[in-house]
Amino acid sequence: MKAPDFDYVRVRSLDEALAALAAHGEGARILAGGQSLVPALNLRLLAPEILVDIGGIADLSGIALADGTIRIGAMTRHADLERSPEIARHVPLLARAVREIGHPAIRNRGTIGGSLAHADPASELPACVLALEARIVARGPSGERTIAASDFFRGLYETALGPDEILVRIEIPAAAAGERFAFHELARRHGDYAMAGIAALARDTGAATLRIAYFGIGSRPMLAAGAAAALRDHGASEAGAAAAVRALGADLEPQSDLQASAALRMHLAGVLLRRALKDLFPDAAGGREEEIA
Amino acid sequence: MARTASRNIGQSIPRLEAREKVTGRAEYVHHLRLPGMLYGKIFRSTVPHARIKSVDVSAAQALEGVYRVVTIDDIREAIPHPYYGPAFHDQPILADGKVRFAGEPVAVVLAADPHIAQEAVGLISAEYEELPAVFDEVEAMSSDVLVHDVLKPAATFPDLKHLAGRTGTNVALDYHLLRGDPEAGFAAADHVFEHTYRSQQVMHIPMEPFVSVADAADGRLTLHTASQSPSFVRIEIARLLGWPENRVRVKVPYLGGGFGGKLYIKLEALVTALSLVARRPVKVALTMEEQFFMVTRHPCTFTIKSGVNKDGTIVARTCKVVWNGGAYADIGPRVTQKAGFTSAGPYDIENVEIHSYAVYTNRPPCGALRGFGAPQTAWAYECHMDEIAEALGMDKVAFRRKNLLQNGRPQATGTIVQDAALEQALDQVADRLNWNEPLDRGDGRIRRGRGIAVGFKGITAPTTSVAIVNLYADGSCGLYISTVEMGQGSDTVMAQIAAEVLDMDAAAIKVVHPDTDVTPYDMGTLGSRSTFHMGTAVRLAAEDARKKIAELARELGLPEGSNLPLPELFRRKYGMQAGNIIGTASFIPKYEKPDAETGHSRNATPFWGVGASGAEVEVDTETGHYRITKLVNVADVGTALNPKLVQVQLSGAGIMQLGFTTTEEMVYRDGQLTNGSLADYKIPTLLDIPPEFINEHVDSEQKDGPFGGKGAGESTTIALSPAIGNALFDAVGVRLTDLPLTPEKIFRALCEANGTPLAGE
Repeated sequence: MKAPDFDYVRVRSLDEALAALAAHGEGARILAGGQSLVPALNLRLLAPEILVDIGGIADLSGIALADGTIRIGAMTRHADLERSPEIARHVPLLARAVREIGHPAIRNRGTIGGSLAHADPASELPACVLALEARIVARGPSGERTIAASDFFRGLYETALGPDEILVRIEIPAAAAGERFAFHELARRHGDYAMAGIAALARDTGAATLRIAYFGIGSRPMLAAGAAAALRDHGASEAGAAAAVRALGADLEPQSDLQASAALRMHLAGVLLRRALKDLFPDAAGGREEEIA
Repeated sequence: MARTASRNIGQSIPRLEAREKVTGRAEYVHHLRLPGMLYGKIFRSTVPHARIKSVDVSAAQALEGVYRVVTIDDIREAIPHPYYGPAFHDQPILADGKVRFAGEPVAVVLAADPHIAQEAVGLISAEYEELPAVFDEVEAMSSDVLVHDVLKPAATFPDLKHLAGRTGTNVALDYHLLRGDPEAGFAAADHVFEHTYRSQQVMHIPMEPFVSVADAADGRLTLHTASQSPSFVRIEIARLLGWPENRVRVKVPYLGGGFGGKLYIKLEALVTALSLVARRPVKVALTMEEQFFMVTRHPCTFTIKSGVNKDGTIVARTCKVVWNGGAYADIGPRVTQKAGFTSAGPYDIENVEIHSYAVYTNRPPCGALRGFGAPQTAWAYECHMDEIAEALGMDKVAFRRKNLLQNGRPQATGTIVQDAALEQALDQVADRLNWNEPLDRGDGRIRRGRGIAVGFKGITAPTTSVAIVNLYADGSCGLYISTVEMGQGSDTVMAQIAAEVLDMDAAAIKVVHPDTDVTPYDMGTLGSRSTFHMGTAVRLAAEDARKKIAELARELGLPEGSNLPLPELFRRKYGMQAGNIIGTASFIPKYEKPDAETGHSRNATPFWGVGASGAEVEVDTETGHYRITKLVNVADVGTALNPKLVQVQLSGAGIMQLGFTTTEEMVYRDGQLTNGSLADYKIPTLLDIPPEFINEHVDSEQKDGPFGGKGAGESTTIALSPAIGNALFDAVGVRLTDLPLTPEKIFRALCEANGTPLAGE
């Protein structure tokens, strides 16, 4: 199918973009890399009045480190994250995760801001920013506001962004010495959306700062707070891991779809957690596991 | 046997059309725009089975730019009996009072702008009185829900005549075979095994979706269509219109993939009717999503029972095969019969009974798809073979080899097997898998296994091919055939065959594409038949041309063997560069139709398609995810006339069947397709091809084939699925009976086997 009719404007500045949003309200959609929006249009899942293309706003892209924080412009492409030495050094979880996003052609066009604003529950980056305690900066008519990643994802394709706001950048605390991460996903095909995935981060060598985020499980990316608490209490021993896996039952709301049943997803969440713990705490959890590709 | 002396046969001549294709200049129907042409967009049923109470087209008709909205009532004005189909005249050009599957065409909007037509489709509404529906083939066998009130077989297949007028059934065709005394065989056997296996509904996904253009004017009709069977289209359209064949012209340029989908008659009846109604050329081009409602592969439930002696000899086998044909028969009855007669597998079994049923259901129609039913039957009989070998504690290759049909022995129909390199193919796969070496199976979470399977298929018969070789006055050559170049390389191979006879270079021959005003009859580009059937016709036509050259030389008084160049002969005959030499030939292989009661035939197939496959897998027992680390396909293609083209045929069919094995399935909820787009219906990508992917042919010869050749397009679809299913069993000890082989099914089966079943789906 082809997209329904829509108007299109390519804006030169954020102010112009905000003006377009103000004029069209819910009828406007921001076009960033177009890797989710354009297929959704072609499948006629969306029928916006106007697309506001922000690809021409130069100062929306780029990666910068200052005061222990990495700032990533919303229009930064996945491929740029993949190739960035700053990301590799200061946000290695992100560097690992972007490799799993679709295929090179998709990574060349898709953007981090687009992925977060689209909030597909099976996408990698929303879960990563949850684990990373990122701050998401939005610009609206009354200026900028900062939203904690944990407050950002509200539901299926639903975020805290207002219809008059644009996601402009993501701020992530740079990795401290001793920081560890784990990232795993299971998909039916190479490069496909995850049927279950985990992104986990520990700011130090213990479990006290552990944050565990899931994607591809429920209707939005989710933090497994109960599982993390169980690990804080029991450590990453076998007992801790078992308690954490049990806690997932209350943390997650797995859903059934064509790729997997809810019951399988809940099981996979536990498997992925144990694998993540082995990456994060190899001594406590008995070393890394063998993998199939 | 490789003929190293030939500059054509056995050579990997590059595709004649390669440059045209890679430079984007190749001609496809999608590119075609005729002056005054209208585009048709289809309004489809949203319910699987219903009486149509009303269709409101007024809002669509009122939209600016809409030329006309057409329903079956309008079509009747042009075609009084608007029902078509190759086996049954059961499919209305547009829904006629009833709809029989969700997605069935109900009305068409015509407009000069396809986008306006599409928008207008959204303004049409229909009121339905919903009827109970039946979707499962086994249920449909005995259901009170009837998809059709009365059976309407086409006259083209004389063996379906007895079905005419039959009522109160969903069974469109039943095929039976009886050999020996199976009951006595089972009674005497040491062991009896019975299993049921299922194949799912899948679709062809040609990258070029269905497209047809009709241009009817002044009592003549030209169809430009993406069809695998232009000759059949002409015959069927002429029948629908009551016109002689010579008023219907069917042209087919290149095809962007067919795989059996674009066979017989598809959009052609609709565009013809629309063009007659509108008195303008009309084009209908489906979207990728609409293709799911055109034609698909039969789901199949197959119960197979074998009596086996302690030494591994299979002494009796019964097969009950039920084919889900969907709402319209298409070529399903042929699939039922052709795949039916080989459904006991390529084994030498004394007592065999086969019952094969084509059944109507309220799903999109099912037809031919690369293998013509053989992949569904092999999925069952080759998993069954492994289960028996496992129970007997026999090596799985040895068990097969012990029972394999040898050349010179009768197949279940009684046809003596000839030129079927079954054992060679099986052995070559075993060799590539290092079958006799131990495998590192792993002892932890990751387990490895390997599996093997072999199968065969009969070829649709009897079918005819006609070829014309036209030698022009300068000695150059045109080859006129209705074989459709759809990516398989037929232009190149046919040119190679003609060139071999005429002592020319294949690349110098112009292959004229199907145009029924110009190119002669061919039954269709289907079922691995072109190399054997058309290849033979081309060889004979080229020989006929040579004979005529010799006659001309004699007529000119030249001594035998004077070998004067052809242009010189023409000049001597006509006094200038003028004239033609036209060689023609037709070919129809020997065939005896099966006996209606016993299914016996002394000539059931022109040749045997043979494929064996092997797979190595590793399975993550914690998740059910698996990876095929090695996939081997070996086919018997006779002499490989063009080894490179054989190679791509084998690998292409293998990748296609890999998708049908691992990820592809049309999923329904209450008769509604839930994954009818490539976003949700997952076909393999290049990155999903196993790291070791070996495709080979055995060293063999089809003695009555052109230069020893035979078909290659389907061979690797046959045994691939069971090879993978058997490898999974070998790795983790659970047997999956239903395709596709998903991680969830594997994990659930593992949980079941461990006594800790996973909660419901």
